[in-house]
Amino acid sequence: MKSLYNTAEPLVMHIDLNSCFATVEQQARVRLRGKPVAVVNRRTDQTMIVTCSYEAKAAGVQMGMKLRDAKKICPDLVGVESDPPKYRYVYHKLLDIMNDYSAHVTMKSIDEGVIDFAQAPKAIKDRGLEEIGREIKQRLRDEIGVAMRCNVGIATNRFLAKTAASLHKPDGMDVITHKNLRGVLGTLELTDLTGIAERNKHRLNSVGICTPLDFLDASSDVLHSSVFKSINGDYWHQRLRGWEVDDVMSDTKRVGRQYVLDNFNLTFDEILQRLHHLCESVGWRMRKQGLSARGVYVGVHTFGPGGPWRKHRSWHVSKVVQTPFFSDQTIYSIAKSLFVHAPPDIRDINVHCYLLERRERSQLNLFADEIARERAVTHAVDEINERYGEHTLHAADTIRTSPLVKTKIPFGSTRYL
Amino acid sequence: MNDEVFLNERIDVIATFGTGLNPCNPVKFRRPNGREVVISEIGLRHPTTQGKRAVHVFDVTDGGADYRIELDSERLTWMLTRIGDRM
Repeated sequence: MKSLYNTAEPLVMHIDLNSCFATVEQQARVRLRGKPVAVVNRRTDQTMIVTCSYEAKAAGVQMGMKLRDAKKICPDLVGVESDPPKYRYVYHKLLDIMNDYSAHVTMKSIDEGVIDFAQAPKAIKDRGLEEIGREIKQRLRDEIGVAMRCNVGIATNRFLAKTAASLHKPDGMDVITHKNLRGVLGTLELTDLTGIAERNKHRLNSVGICTPLDFLDASSDVLHSSVFKSINGDYWHQRLRGWEVDDVMSDTKRVGRQYVLDNFNLTFDEILQRLHHLCESVGWRMRKQGLSARGVYVGVHTFGPGGPWRKHRSWHVSKVVQTPFFSDQTIYSIAKSLFVHAPPDIRDINVHCYLLERRERSQLNLFADEIARERAVTHAVDEINERYGEHTLHAADTIRTSPLVKTKIPFGSTRYL
Repeated sequence: MNDEVFLNERIDVIATFGTGLNPCNPVKFRRPNGREVVISEIGLRHPTTQGKRAVHVFDVTDGGADYRIELDSERLTWMLTRIGDRM
């Protein structure tokens, strides 16, 4: 167990685009610069704010607020509908810039990434990470636009680098080493640490750990056996001291989509059409990754007592089949059979495929001819959709849903970017 | 909500093609109604696709309104697709 601080040279850089979507909108639309801007997923006042500009944050607007409520505290707020192709472009530009400095780049989400300089060329390392950080900031402005800003954090591991990147927003750059670690943690609250939200905070508080410095001083035994009750306690002990424990890649476990209904007075058949659209979208994503699945999960949130906007309740059901499937038709037929038991007053629906496997690994089947035919039809449909655009060829059932069920940017995953 | 107007107007465009990071720079365009718009700043240029067809999207302004114009790289046509003139 490593109980000492990591005294190595800090070679991990975390880059975080500031209020990414709102900044990109301000970059694109010159007249929005300097104004409070909120990015939303729908052109309605009922929708929730996905992200907002620093001007909006200064006026008290927060992510997750309803646009209607936010306008009450900031009447000049401009709501802008999200525009995924723009954000994807900025993501790829940022990735290109980061790849110029090291072969070990990991994008953590659409607006943040990590460069590991441990194996970078000596010529790059000799320049110093702070100089490279300043250069990346400048390149963002030169290659994307003058409004683009990012925070840079440098440390010996990913966790401290991300912590450093959140110290001075916007446009900050900070380095955390073993020398200033206690000083930096002394200025933070427990919930400022990535991975510590209310539940973990209560766990820590219950054993007398009330600040990040208490957390740092806690022994691995206490964290393991009294707080996290798992190896996560040991990970936290190492993470806080600057040792790398987060350099892991995870496989895709499920492919899914969620949709908040565009109208809460829809008939069951109209909801089924939207479910069908989601199934087509999930099938398309799954096949693009060369995967098939054996399980389908369908879930809904319903309005609780008191009608719309009261605390919602959830309902979900899933089914596993023997033979792996990949076509929209099969996904929808399973999802539909599960959905007939859904409760009324639905607010949102979601569909996931799980138990994923590579399609070439699928076992031979007695109904091989039937599967081969289904595969050929699906492949032909996908080719047409790739040539002329997603959802060009689709079930007649979903003809009215295309303008409603738009693809939005997935937070926390870069698999579909 | 921000009141953008969505359009699908074929436009005449004068653009320069040079070297550097952003080689294509639209300078001004004329709408079907004859109105000319002189571009004072290009906010962002990003590529997108319509199926396999690459379309270059330019978000530009003339100082009085924001416009979105799109160059279809296969058909070599320019379209005006959005105007945001009030905030």
